[in-house]
Amino acid sequence: MTTPKRIIKETERLVAEKVPGISAVPHDDNVRYFDVKIDGPSQSPYEGGVFNLELFLPDDYPMTPPKIRFLTKIYHPNIDRLGRICLDVLKSNWSPALQIRTILLSIQALLGAPNPDDPLANDVAQKWKEDEKAAIETARQWTQQHAKA
Amino acid sequence: MDSTHIEERPHKKRRFFREDSSPVVQSIQRLSPPPASPAPSNGAATSPIDIPSDGEADKNGASSDGFDVSLLYAVVGELPPSTVQQLKHQSGNDVQRAINIYLDGSWNTAPSPAPAPLRQPALQTTIANGLIRRDSEMSNASTPGSGASTPLNPVLKAMPAKRYIGSFGAIGWATRSGTGLIRHEEKVGIERTKAREPTGKRRIVNNKKQDIVVRFTNQRGEEVGRLENESAGWVSSLIDQKVCSFEGSCVYAPERLRTSETVYLQLRCYLLRSAFDKKKFVKPDNNRDVNLFEEKESQDEKDLRLRQVALVKLFDAINLHPSRLNESTDKHKRQGLLQAAESAEKKEQKTKAKNGSAAEPGSSPPSDEAEDGEELEQDQLDSLYKKAQSFDFNTPVMAPASTFAMDLRKYQKQALHWMVGKEKDEALDHKETSMHPLWEEYGWPTLDADNMPVPAVDDQDMFYVNPYSGELSLEFPRQEQNCLGGILADEMGLGKTIEMLSLIHTHRTEVPADTSAVTLNSLPRLAKNSASVERAPYTTLVVAPMSLLAQWASEAEKASKGGTLKVMVYYGPEKSANLQKLCCTTNAANAPNVIITSYGVILSEFNQVAALDGNRGSHGGLFSLDYFRIILDEAHFIKNRQSKTAKACYELIATHRWVLTGTPIVNRLEDLFSLVRFLKVEPWSNFSFWKTFITVPFESKDFIRALDVVQTVLEPLVLRRTKDMKTPDGEALVPLPPRIIDIEKVELSRDERDVYDYIYLRAKRVFSANAEAGTLLKSYTTIFAQILRLRQSCCHPFLTRHKSLVADEEDAALASDLANGLADDMDLSSLIERFSSDGEQDINKFGAHVLKQIQDEADAECPICSEEPMADQAVTGCWHSACKDCLLNYINHQRDKGNIPLCFNCREPINARDIFEVVRHDHIVEEETTAPAASQTPRVSLRRIGLSGSAKTQALLTHLKNIRRADRSMKSVVFSQFTSFLDLIEPALTRDHIPFLRFDGTMSQKARAAVLTEFTNSAKPYVLLLSLRAGGVGLNLTCAKRVFMMDPWWSFAVEAQAIDRVHRMGQDGEVRVVRFVVAGSIEEKMLRIQDRKKFIASSLGMMSEDEKRVQRIEDIKELLS
Repeated sequence: MTTPKRIIKETERLVAEKVPGISAVPHDDNVRYFDVKIDGPSQSPYEGGVFNLELFLPDDYPMTPPKIRFLTKIYHPNIDRLGRICLDVLKSNWSPALQIRTILLSIQALLGAPNPDDPLANDVAQKWKEDEKAAIETARQWTQQHAKA
Repeated sequence: MDSTHIEERPHKKRRFFREDSSPVVQSIQRLSPPPASPAPSNGAATSPIDIPSDGEADKNGASSDGFDVSLLYAVVGELPPSTVQQLKHQSGNDVQRAINIYLDGSWNTAPSPAPAPLRQPALQTTIANGLIRRDSEMSNASTPGSGASTPLNPVLKAMPAKRYIGSFGAIGWATRSGTGLIRHEEKVGIERTKAREPTGKRRIVNNKKQDIVVRFTNQRGEEVGRLENESAGWVSSLIDQKVCSFEGSCVYAPERLRTSETVYLQLRCYLLRSAFDKKKFVKPDNNRDVNLFEEKESQDEKDLRLRQVALVKLFDAINLHPSRLNESTDKHKRQGLLQAAESAEKKEQKTKAKNGSAAEPGSSPPSDEAEDGEELEQDQLDSLYKKAQSFDFNTPVMAPASTFAMDLRKYQKQALHWMVGKEKDEALDHKETSMHPLWEEYGWPTLDADNMPVPAVDDQDMFYVNPYSGELSLEFPRQEQNCLGGILADEMGLGKTIEMLSLIHTHRTEVPADTSAVTLNSLPRLAKNSASVERAPYTTLVVAPMSLLAQWASEAEKASKGGTLKVMVYYGPEKSANLQKLCCTTNAANAPNVIITSYGVILSEFNQVAALDGNRGSHGGLFSLDYFRIILDEAHFIKNRQSKTAKACYELIATHRWVLTGTPIVNRLEDLFSLVRFLKVEPWSNFSFWKTFITVPFESKDFIRALDVVQTVLEPLVLRRTKDMKTPDGEALVPLPPRIIDIEKVELSRDERDVYDYIYLRAKRVFSANAEAGTLLKSYTTIFAQILRLRQSCCHPFLTRHKSLVADEEDAALASDLANGLADDMDLSSLIERFSSDGEQDINKFGAHVLKQIQDEADAECPICSEEPMADQAVTGCWHSACKDCLLNYINHQRDKGNIPLCFNCREPINARDIFEVVRHDHIVEEETTAPAASQTPRVSLRRIGLSGSAKTQALLTHLKNIRRADRSMKSVVFSQFTSFLDLIEPALTRDHIPFLRFDGTMSQKARAAVLTEFTNSAKPYVLLLSLRAGGVGLNLTCAKRVFMMDPWWSFAVEAQAIDRVHRMGQDGEVRVVRFVVAGSIEEKMLRIQDRKKFIASSLGMMSEDEKRVQRIEDIKELLS
């Protein structure tokens, strides 16, 4: 199957117009599979960490959203132990007008603004609500531990 | 019975010959017993005078009074002395006259030395009449056979007025009762007469067929009875057509005769001299207009058929066998002849029965007699051609003469070799004279039924019969020159014209090198317009449809090195030239090598010559020459053998005859006959022969046999190559640019799908109901109609409905939309204006802004597929743009998941009905008249999707627009089998300002031609809409490079043929074909059936109509599965 124009264009642009703190590189043997690195946003517990994710574009992309998962362990109320992410634009609010770049930016933003009211990792969300400082501290520790380049 | 009747009847048939021996001879037997017939007949001792005649006559040998009896005897055979006396008396001692008087039989009736009995001029044959001279078949075309100048054929003269050929037993019924009416061994007269209307019923029954009543009389001339029908059938024809006369004797009759009792007779049969006079059988009939129902049997053909059957039956009855006959014709048994004739008769009866009238027996042929050539089915044609075109790629090639200026492809050189070979095939000419294949040789019997010797005629031991025409001859029928030409039937586009021109260059009569002779004769001298036909040994006559004359001339010019070929177009004003003067042998240096003329000219000159009583020479036109070669281009022009054009062409004279046609058989086997007839291929140029071995077997469903025979006819005669033939190395004969066929699966919109599903279910219901009831074959048509609806609904739902209804609905929808303030086709500018005018509302401002953007950034990238610019930009009700397909896909995607479709951009809920297509008018080619100060921005308008057409029209428009953007001059061709679908495509094209032309079967020939010229010559990137039926054949549309097939047909061959209108010789670019097929529909299944058919097409061969239906039912089963 030939690669749709959309994927080719997006890939080209990801390389040509780099977004600070974000990189996505497709595999040589599978243009729909990307290795993604996201820098933790500044002034967040994830600052200084580099997070690895995997991104896969399903066959009916862009009708359906890309599948994205954190590979690096992260302490975040909207990201579970398996790295799955709770983000509306990856689910019901997906629109084909969104792109890899915009999705990755959204994820980066999610790191800067955790939303414990719509949790995926319930234990983390609980902590976050009960003792936000401690939770942030844990997140910072995890970042140091797992996300150091 | 009254004797006047006898005398009168034959007079009806006397049209050109006053003498007519048969009735007279009959009367001899009845009225005057003693001087029996010339051949001392009747071996029975009843006529004692006959027997001693031998000796007596000898003594009478040299009579003193200058009457040379021996001469008389030498000519007419020996006669009883009393006869001699009578002759002598009547002729006034003139032997010549006596012979004539004797021969025409008038000696016996004329009481006195009557006025010289007119015999001399009358017997003169008119064979020399130019127009008729080569006819082997009866020529309907000839002029009235005015007695011309040739003297009486001496051989014919030598033949006695009648000559015994055999006898046979026959059965008669008494029509009277009484005692002593007829005795054993009593001589019996046999006569054809319509006596008084006998009692009722049987007569009427017979009338329905034809009057075949043959009566016999006793010696007193009283009618006794009639022959039973079996023999009466043919005996009557023989008597009517003056082929034979009969005399009989009674073998057994009951002493006391009662009506309808059987009488046994012995009939002696004599062939009449008149039977051997060929002119007897030519019934010139030039007043006949070309018959609309040309396939029906003409009266001439009917007579011929009757005669032919009668002769065969006669020879059968008297047990006479040919002493020599042609081997090849022998293979086809005589049985076939009878069968053929009988089937024709049956058919006639059938039609008559249908007509329900028993009125005029056999007088006029029923007007609507069935056509005698059944149409061939396509697959039969295919298999026929397949056999005929087994072309051997190893046949030798021949290089054209050096004067030929073009390069020939290999297969063309092979054609040249073949053609030159055919033209030079004169081997047969030099063989010792062989008998004409249609004729059979018979020996005159030397003994009669009673073993009594029959007098012989010097040098006349044999006579010849052509059982296929019923002709008789005393002269040895020589095999005429074999056909030195043939049928060049290469498929269109392979260069038949070029091949022919190479032949003209390569095989020509050399102009004598002796220059002095040429100078001496340099002034063409033709003292007077001789009546004869002048040889034109340097000239090839080309006959082509008028529209091709110029093309022929320019091709001939192009193909020849300067000055090597003199070409003359003989048409219009140029016709004034006297061709005879121009082309004759003595004018070799200046004679045109090629004369190009049209079928129309041929016809009109033919009529002129006919008006001159067939005097070709004095006319000085086309018919006054004996050409070196004639070529008929597009020879299917003469496929109708009874058309005047065909008849005119038959009369052209040439050494070599060629016909060019891509379709030697258009739809009847008879089409081929006309070509064969023109080529004069014996024996097949005889229609009776043709009919016997081809038409009749074919009609009686003996396809294999008929087609086998056709094949043997065709094989030595035809050279046919097709475009898809491959050389052994797998190369195409003519390398054409590539042709790419894509099948595009079209998705029906939701609404269309609903319509389709509804019809599908209904069709399926009808089918299974009928399948259960076992009435599939009966309701075949109904089911087929349902399938048709289904296929139509794939094209456009409107097609399935009544037209006016559709119009109403469309209007209604339009009205409601207008009410909602959204017309279907809003001009964007006006839309923007409207929004700007009430600018207080933010939403509208935003809308106006976006719409402006739509216009300004029309080249933006699609947010969904990243196509740039968008393929068919479309906008949502919230004015967000994307490709139309992307947008619709996304909406469907969300729907399928059970979600309410939201805008991909603003997540507003959207309605599929509120999607607008942005129609940009930038693909419109600038017309010359464009206003110079037109608006700077390209005109754009919005159109609601879904109402603008069916999925297929949408798909088509998308393609057409893309083509337009990619190449502004590209022409396209669109085929559909539904003209009503074309009707629906038209407005869509109009709306999008795509220029188009239309070509279908409803248009006049003139209109069609105009459309084709416009399409070919105009620089506009036209789209040509064609109906598959009207445009599938023959046209040359090589100026287009894109083909769209809107709907599949049952066999791909038909579609392929349509595609070949574009993809054929002359096409210089890649051809792209898109076949639209609705996904998940009956059309997909049709493709599968097509594939299967391709596979078994050849083996399908000759299916009967019923078998075909069964096959179709199978197909339908598959379609509805």
